[in-house]
Amino acid sequence: MSFTSMGEAHRRIADFLNRFSEAVSTQDGASLKSLLSVSSNSSLLLSLADDLNLYQDWSRLVKQAERNSHTLGEILVPHLRCVQSYRSGRFVEAYAAFEKSANAFLQEFRNWETAWAVEAMHVVAHEIRILAELADKELASLGKNPEKLQGAGSFLMKVFGSLAGKGPKRVGALYVTCQLFKAYFKLGTVHLCRSVIRSIETAKFFDFEEFPSSDKVTYMYYTGRLEVYNENFVAADQKLTYALMHCNSRHEANLRMILKYLIPVKLSIGILPKMSLLDKFHLTEYTNIVKALKQGDLRLLRRALQEHEDQFLRTGVYLVLEKLELQVYQRLVKKIYIFQKQKDPSKAHQIKLDVIVKALKWLEIDMDVDEVECMMAILIYKNLMKGYFAHKSKVVVLSKQEPFPKLNGKPVSS
Amino acid sequence: MLPSSSIWSAASSSNHSVEEGSQGHAPVITGHYSWPASAGQVAVSWNYGANNGPLENATSSSSGDHYDPLRDSTGSEGAHFPTNSMSQTSASSNLSATNGNPAYAGYAQYPNSTYSYGYGNMQYQSNYYSPQQANYTSYQQAGASQNSGASYQPHSSFQNTGSYATPTSYSGTYFASDHQTAAGCPTSGYVNQTNYWNDGSGGGYPLQYANYPSSDTNSAPSTSNTTTNSYSYQPECNQWPINYGTSVSNVNCTPGPGSMVSSTVPTATYPTQSANGSYSYASSQPPPPGTTSWRGDLGLPNLPSSQAQNAVACYPSSSWEEKAPTVQNYNLNQIPSDLQKPLDLKLPLFENHDANGKTTCSYDPTSSLQVFPSGQVSQIPQQPLQAISAMDASRVSKMQIPTNPRISSSLAVGVPKVDKEGSTTNTATKPAYLSVQVPKLNNQLSSSDDTDAVVKGAFPPSVRSYAERCFSRCKDDSQRDANKIILSEIIAKAKDDSSLWTKNWDMEPLFPLPNSNSNAADRNILRSTVLSTPKFPGRRTKSRWEPVAEERMDIKVAQVNPDSTKNVSWAERLAGGRIHENEWNSMKLPLPQPPPLNKTPQRPLKKSRFSDISNITENGNSSSESDKEQELTKHYSSAIALENSPEEKKRREHRSKRFENGQERRTDGKQFKPRAAGVGNILRKASAMLLAKSYDDQCSRAVEDINWNALTVKGTSQEVEKRYLRLTSAPDPATVRPEEILEKALYMVQTSQKNYLYKCDQLKSIRQDLTVQRIQNELTVKVYETHGRLALEAGDLPEFNQCQSQLKRLYAEGIKGCQMEFSAYSLLCVILHSNNKRDLLSSINSLSNAAKQDEAVKHALAVHSAVSAGNYVLFFRLYKAAPSLITCLMDLHVEKMRFEAIKCMSKSYRPTISVSYIAHVLGFSTLAQTGFDGENGANGHEDCEEWLRAHGAVLIVENNAELQLDAKASSSTLYMPEPEDAVAHGDSNLAVDDFFTRAS
Repeated sequence: MSFTSMGEAHRRIADFLNRFSEAVSTQDGASLKSLLSVSSNSSLLLSLADDLNLYQDWSRLVKQAERNSHTLGEILVPHLRCVQSYRSGRFVEAYAAFEKSANAFLQEFRNWETAWAVEAMHVVAHEIRILAELADKELASLGKNPEKLQGAGSFLMKVFGSLAGKGPKRVGALYVTCQLFKAYFKLGTVHLCRSVIRSIETAKFFDFEEFPSSDKVTYMYYTGRLEVYNENFVAADQKLTYALMHCNSRHEANLRMILKYLIPVKLSIGILPKMSLLDKFHLTEYTNIVKALKQGDLRLLRRALQEHEDQFLRTGVYLVLEKLELQVYQRLVKKIYIFQKQKDPSKAHQIKLDVIVKALKWLEIDMDVDEVECMMAILIYKNLMKGYFAHKSKVVVLSKQEPFPKLNGKPVSS
Repeated sequence: MLPSSSIWSAASSSNHSVEEGSQGHAPVITGHYSWPASAGQVAVSWNYGANNGPLENATSSSSGDHYDPLRDSTGSEGAHFPTNSMSQTSASSNLSATNGNPAYAGYAQYPNSTYSYGYGNMQYQSNYYSPQQANYTSYQQAGASQNSGASYQPHSSFQNTGSYATPTSYSGTYFASDHQTAAGCPTSGYVNQTNYWNDGSGGGYPLQYANYPSSDTNSAPSTSNTTTNSYSYQPECNQWPINYGTSVSNVNCTPGPGSMVSSTVPTATYPTQSANGSYSYASSQPPPPGTTSWRGDLGLPNLPSSQAQNAVACYPSSSWEEKAPTVQNYNLNQIPSDLQKPLDLKLPLFENHDANGKTTCSYDPTSSLQVFPSGQVSQIPQQPLQAISAMDASRVSKMQIPTNPRISSSLAVGVPKVDKEGSTTNTATKPAYLSVQVPKLNNQLSSSDDTDAVVKGAFPPSVRSYAERCFSRCKDDSQRDANKIILSEIIAKAKDDSSLWTKNWDMEPLFPLPNSNSNAADRNILRSTVLSTPKFPGRRTKSRWEPVAEERMDIKVAQVNPDSTKNVSWAERLAGGRIHENEWNSMKLPLPQPPPLNKTPQRPLKKSRFSDISNITENGNSSSESDKEQELTKHYSSAIALENSPEEKKRREHRSKRFENGQERRTDGKQFKPRAAGVGNILRKASAMLLAKSYDDQCSRAVEDINWNALTVKGTSQEVEKRYLRLTSAPDPATVRPEEILEKALYMVQTSQKNYLYKCDQLKSIRQDLTVQRIQNELTVKVYETHGRLALEAGDLPEFNQCQSQLKRLYAEGIKGCQMEFSAYSLLCVILHSNNKRDLLSSINSLSNAAKQDEAVKHALAVHSAVSAGNYVLFFRLYKAAPSLITCLMDLHVEKMRFEAIKCMSKSYRPTISVSYIAHVLGFSTLAQTGFDGENGANGHEDCEEWLRAHGAVLIVENNAELQLDAKASSSTLYMPEPEDAVAHGDSNLAVDDFFTRAS
């Protein structure tokens, strides 16, 4: 840290205040943005924090500056305090101060007719979430109840309310929605997303295509994830695919995040990715699963699931992947069918249960006749196999036409 | 007497509250004075109460008034309050009392700390606190008291609403529901109002009242307040919290304003009040009148005389008995206080205090009714009344008395003793009253008026009220004489010092009665005779108060329990209490002699008896009163018998007659319950007092710093067996079992041969005792585990879920138990009974690696994969192999699984499947793996056949005589039959209902 003098500090603080009030008075959203982004660690704000520490009496300066623009003091005083606290790593304080400042800012923002400050509002929305997360971390480390993110969530709802209207600010609503999603997903309270989604998707003044594409991608990503939770694969596929197609291809991390969910969804509707795709995005946890699906190797699937169980559970795709087992069975029976067909086409459509049991034994999967019979019945029941099972003779009798219908983008019927 | 009676009547609904309030006040003042100490403490506490209490009291009384009118108008709803005469009223009073307690506690603290502040501030803060406290305590403390109130349904509603605490109570949980059940909106609304009152106490009263009357009248006092009030009304219980908030805000604003309002408002309000009064009457809404009266009170500080007049006028016009009386009482109270303490800058406060004191007094009576034996009740009321206002009060009381009849009826129930003693005491007290100047005015009201007039000329009303208080303590002539002498000395002295008009008589401690002990003994005898003590041998030696604890609370408790001996002890304790009082006095106002505690001790005793009885019969009484619950009363039949005995009835009648003036009738028949509740209230009050004391000690302390441990109940019951009864008041230590007994109880349940319903009941009472005592250790875990297992066995999923969620919390706190077993259960619950994938994910994700190695957890995970794949073969294998309890859990899913399986089979199998195979695969054969042959197989076969037919399967017999399922035909005919026997699986509520209908 340089040895700034009091005078220097004083000058720079005053400078910051001037810039702030000027940005507001000239409605310069871009420069206002940079003054608000506390967590950006910009050199401007970092040095400002040092100056504030040096020049303790800065609130007097704010008061002076307030003469010109009366209401800004309510924003600036807590904002500067936040900058100060953030700099010294006291995030709980920083969050509290920022929340005050943000509320005051929102108050002002409501009065601004045009959308010039929407981006600045976005910065506020983003900052408050980031700061809340940091504050929660700090609280948790102190053994206290981390509740700031929840508070940030309710602030964001207020912001959403101020944007969701017919005015020009409505294009900013989706960004805030995405911030809300992030907070809710982190909190594990995804059910709260529903009300926001409903207003986005049903309100007449929202034209989805009108929103910035980055927001659209984020929105689709999160709503797609929600559909995965609900095991609503068709909708999930559609949303995640949208996100993938519109995501900037340079943002590989984002693409990877989308693929993490899209791949299991696609698998469960019978569409397998190329191995090269998995390699490209380092999604190797799916490699063996795809292989298992291709080979009908039940053991491989189970192993892969076990190996990455924690990860899959965390991302929430475990249950989806678990259901792929039926498709593996299908593939296995199909392979047997193909072998039989090569041997004796006339009897290929009759598969003895013993054969399947034996095949499973080779895979070191110990299932007795009853259980395998049950699985065959389920395959037929779920329309993964056409035919019937003759109980007395313990034979699967396959239909002669297309005995193994493909899913073709449809989920396994439940 | 008249005033007092009127007050009482008004208070009657709020009797409990009054008590509590008084207690709370006392605690506040002294910190610990429990309300039994009230006699000794009374004076002090009253004063305090006045500060804090006034609001509450006012609220309660006001509420009561309001209620009455309501009753008139609305009938059923009104009935709660108006009908009060019965238990309901008492309940309501309890409620209010309970409510009051929390609030009080808060108040108390504030007053001490913030005494200098305006009323508004104090109240406000107190209110504020009380909610917080409630939250903290959640159950026991404030919440508990409220809770208790809640349990009595009718009452509960009141209580809830009334209780400031309501907010707290809500947090507490149980209560909220009770509130709702009870009365519903109207009551709650009232309560809210009362709360407001409290909040507003300083200046708020007028405003609040205004609300009631409707905007017109309100407008004059203060728009903001009125508006808020109106809100509170409609919203009911739920709104409480809101009201709170609003009220608080109001209060904040008003603190200064409060006084302002009172001063300014009076003129404006007066007219409005009168108008309101009329309105209210017309509308049949008691609150308006009450409000008007309040306004009058407010005004009083400024214009005492005018207020008094107003009040009087209002009353006549109002003609609503209870309402008017209460109002009057308030006014009167306030006026006297005003008169007395005009000198001080704090006059408004004082006035409030006075008013509070008055109200508190009234509370005390009510409380006494509930808590104490009847005799006590009557006495107490009188005292308060007297204290409240000699002259004005008397007038008011007269007015009120006529109206109160309802109340009186209610009162009667509670106060068998009261009649005799009360009569004696009343007369005595009144005379005492008079005695100050006119020794013996047997006629209650009329005489009092005359005396009042006389007194007015010579003495400040507060002196009169002080005298009243003193006399009210006297129970026999000898005491009265002694009292007279001492009192005259005191007054003479005061005259000499020229402090007669400057002294805060309301704060003045009562001097000890010289003869108190002997008197007490006499009194005891009297009481015993009166009360037909034989019936109520002091059963419980343990006072409920004990738990409350420490200091004065203990004292009080002890006093209460030891009936005969208690008197003495009381006096002693009172002496102790006095010290506290003195402290208070020193803090606030110079107050000389601790007055005779005689009566107080007696009262407590009486009350204690009652309380004992009531405890015993608590449920029974309450239930008996509410027809529906009468079944329960069977358990308490003996107690009930006592109550219903002719003697009891007589007493009740006596009381009711006596109190016709008073509002007490509300409580009458039901007073027993109220008393019980009152006891709880007392406890709560005690805790509130403790709280208050802690506040006093450290005004700066944050609510968080309150040592809740000190407030935790410690059980003393030695009974191993205990029926579960949802708490409706603060827990009574005498009925709470300590840990070692609970351990025995658990063992008893575990080894009991009785059915699940019995065990469930027992376990719930154990859980309650644990919770109430905040015991969280391995025993707690064991209890919940035991209950969880039993619930599973019985298919009682709701109960199981309760246990499960508690266990989760307990395990998370590191208490050891069968964690694996129960995490398997919870996993299965999610797997089988919830369709929420996220829940499932998170519960699987939360399993530790060690947990995944556990057999039970592994089994549960296997069940999960079987269910998710639809693998019915695996599922039924796991079903058969499962430990018995998991089988129970899986049982609930079996039907669904089977149906799914049979659908699958009939679609995939052709042409047929043998039924024996189905029986085997779908787990119909009861013994695992043996299903194919032998008897078991045959049994399973038959069951299976029956099940298949019930589900619409087409069965055919083939040539080999084996029964087959025609798959193709069945695939279109399968259906899920309506569950005829849903009760068998799980819906234990039905089973319980069934049980009770049979039992009754």
